[in-house]
Amino acid sequence: MDVAILFAMIIGLLMLGVPIGVALGLSSTLFLLVLSDTSLASIAQSLFQAMAGHYTLLAIPFFILASSFMSTGGVAQRIIRFSIALVGHFRGGLAIAGVAACMMFAALSGSSPATVVAIGSIVIGGMRQAGYTKEFAAGVICNAGTLGILIPPSIVMVVYAAATDVSVGRMFLAGVIPGLMAGFMLMGAIYVIATVKDLPRGKWLGWGEIYASAADAVWGLLLIVIILGGIYGGVFTPTEAAAVAAIYAFLIASFVYRDMGPLAAREGQAQSNLLKKPYAVVTAFFHKDTRDTLFEAGKLTVTLMFIIANALILKHVLTDEQIPQAIASSMLDAGFGAVMFLVIVNVILLIGGQFMEPSGLIIIVAPLVFPIAIDLGIDPIHLGIIMVVNMEIGMITPPVGLNLFVTSGVAGMPVMGVVRAALPFLGILFIFLIMVTYIPILSTWLPTTFMGPEIIIK
Amino acid sequence: MSGHFEASSPVGRFVNSFEENAIALILGLMTLVTFVNVVLRYGFNTGLIWGLEATSYLFAWLVLFGMSYCVKTTSHLGVDALTALLAPSARKGVALVAGALCIAYAFLIAKGAWDYWAPFAGLDATTGRWFPSGIANSRDQAWYVTNDIPLPEFLRFLEGAMNQGEEYEKLPRFIPYVMLPIGAFLLLFRFVQATWWIAVGRSTTMIVSHEVEDEIEDAAKRVEGN
Repeated sequence: MDVAILFAMIIGLLMLGVPIGVALGLSSTLFLLVLSDTSLASIAQSLFQAMAGHYTLLAIPFFILASSFMSTGGVAQRIIRFSIALVGHFRGGLAIAGVAACMMFAALSGSSPATVVAIGSIVIGGMRQAGYTKEFAAGVICNAGTLGILIPPSIVMVVYAAATDVSVGRMFLAGVIPGLMAGFMLMGAIYVIATVKDLPRGKWLGWGEIYASAADAVWGLLLIVIILGGIYGGVFTPTEAAAVAAIYAFLIASFVYRDMGPLAAREGQAQSNLLKKPYAVVTAFFHKDTRDTLFEAGKLTVTLMFIIANALILKHVLTDEQIPQAIASSMLDAGFGAVMFLVIVNVILLIGGQFMEPSGLIIIVAPLVFPIAIDLGIDPIHLGIIMVVNMEIGMITPPVGLNLFVTSGVAGMPVMGVVRAALPFLGILFIFLIMVTYIPILSTWLPTTFMGPEIIIK
Repeated sequence: MSGHFEASSPVGRFVNSFEENAIALILGLMTLVTFVNVVLRYGFNTGLIWGLEATSYLFAWLVLFGMSYCVKTTSHLGVDALTALLAPSARKGVALVAGALCIAYAFLIAKGAWDYWAPFAGLDATTGRWFPSGIANSRDQAWYVTNDIPLPEFLRFLEGAMNQGEEYEKLPRFIPYVMLPIGAFLLLFRFVQATWWIAVGRSTTMIVSHEVEDEIEDAAKRVEGN
C-alpha cells in the first residue's frame, strides 16, 4: 500500500512538470523520512556515492563525450555518403541508405534522439529533393533513429548494467544481432513499399565511390571497433574503452576530419593542416570548439546523472522494503509464468517509455523486475535487451513518444503527421519486439559464444 | 532555450562562463586521467594509483556542481505531456507548484548534505529530522582520509588547521566531499531563482522534454535549406 502511494506520488509530480530527478528524489526522501529511520545525511551520502561509488556509470560521461566529438560537423555526412554509395541504387535506395546511416551512427552514439537529429537533418531534406514525400522520409528516420539505443555502445545498456550488476560487455554484444536484425527488417519493409509504390532509385555510383566514401568514413567507424575490440580483447574495461574512445574521437575530429578545432575551415579560410600549423597539436586541447564540446557533453551528463542518482535513492527504498520479492511471490502464487511476466513488463515499459527519458525509466523499472525475472528463470541479458527494445518502441508510440517530437521538430511537420507516417514501420518494430521477447537466443547467442555462459549469482 | 545561456549583467556573464568552464574542465580532466592510466599501463607498465579514485570524485563534482547550472538554463528533463495541454494561466500556476516542490527537495538535500559533510570538516551537523532545529555536538572526523589520493604539499597547512598538527598521509575526505554541500546549496539557490523567474514571467517552466531541444531548431533549418 505504502508503495502504491510512493509510485502515485512520483507520477503525480512528473505530471506537474517537476524535473524527473526531483520527482524521484523527493518522493523517495519523504518516504524514507516518514517510514524508516534513514537520516537526510545518509540520503545526501547516497547522492554523492551514486557517482563516486559506481564505476560502471563512469562510462556514461565518456560515451557521451565520444559521441559529441563524433557529432560535430561532418561525420554524419560521411556516413550518409557511404550508405548511399552502398545501397542507394536499390528501389527506394535513399530511404534504405537512411536506415543504414542511422545504424552506423548508432554505433557512434548511444542516444536515439541524437541519431534522429544528426541523420534526419541531412537525409530528410535529401529524400524530399529526390522525390519522396516528407511523410515517408520522416517515418523512416523516426523509426530507424530508435536503433541508437539498441546498437552498442548504448547509454541505456550501461544504465541497465549498473542497475542490475550484469556485465556491460555482455549487454553490448547482446545488442548486436537484434540491432542488425531490426535494421534489416526496416530496410526490407522499405524495399517492399518502394516496389509497390514505384519509389525512385538512385544511380549506381560504382565501386570507386564505395572505396572513396568508405575510406572517408572509416575513421569514424573505427570508434566502434576500438570500443568492442578493446572490451572483448580484454584490453580495457568498458569505462576505459569509453575514455579511450572519447580521446580517439577528439583526435579524429580535430586532426583527421578537421571539422572542429584550430585546423577547421573558417569563413573565408580553407582547412589547414598540421604542416602549416604544427602548434595546433597543443592548441587543439584548449581550442574554443573543444571546450564547447566538453561543456555540451558535461551538461548532458549532468542532466542524465541527476535522474540516475535520484533513481538510485528510489532503488534503495525498493530494496529496503523488499518490494520486488513481494511482487514476485504474489505473481508466482497467482500462477503467472515467465511468458505472462514478460507481457506485463512489455506493457509497463511501452507506456512508461512514451513519457520518460529511457535511462531514467530503466533505472527505476530494472531493480523492480530484475529479481522477479531471475526467480522465473529468465536470462538477465535477455531481459535487458527486451527492456531496451521496449524503450525503443515506447519512443515512437503515440501519443507522446519522444522520437516523434524530435522528428516533428527536425522535419518541420506536426506531431500527428509524424505519428501517421511512422505507423507502418512501428508495426515492423512490434513484430521485432515479439521475436526478441520470445526467442531468447537472438540476444544470448553472441555473448555466450564470446564470453562463456552467463553465471547467475543471487 | 537555444544554445548558450545569455546572462543579462557582467556579473551574470562572469558566473555563467565560470560555470561552463568548470563543467568542461572537470569532464576533460576525468577523460585525460582515465586515458593516461590506460596508456601508462600498456606503454610503461605502471599507473597512477590515485587515478580511479580521483576520477570518481571528479565525476561526483561534475554532477553535483552542474545540477544547479542545469536549473538555471532549464535543461533538466521532465514530462511536459500534460502541462503542455493547459491554458497559459493554469500552466503558470502548475509551474509555480512544481517550483515550490523543487525548493522543498533542494532544502532537504541541503540539510542532509551539510549534516553529512560537517563532521568530516570538524564542524557540527544540525539536529532535527526534517528541519535544522539546533546544533548537534558531532564527533570530529577531520582525520578521515581518502584511500589513494596523496596530499599536495601546498595543502600541508591543513594538518595544523584541521588535524591538530597530525600528519595527513592522504588527502583528507572533507575536500572531495565539500562539493556535496556546495552543490546542494547552489541547487537550492537556483530553484528559488527559477521559481521567481516563473512568477515574474521571465520563464514558463522548470523542464525540457528531451535532451536535443537546443539542436532541433538548427536541424530544422538545415532540412528547409535543402
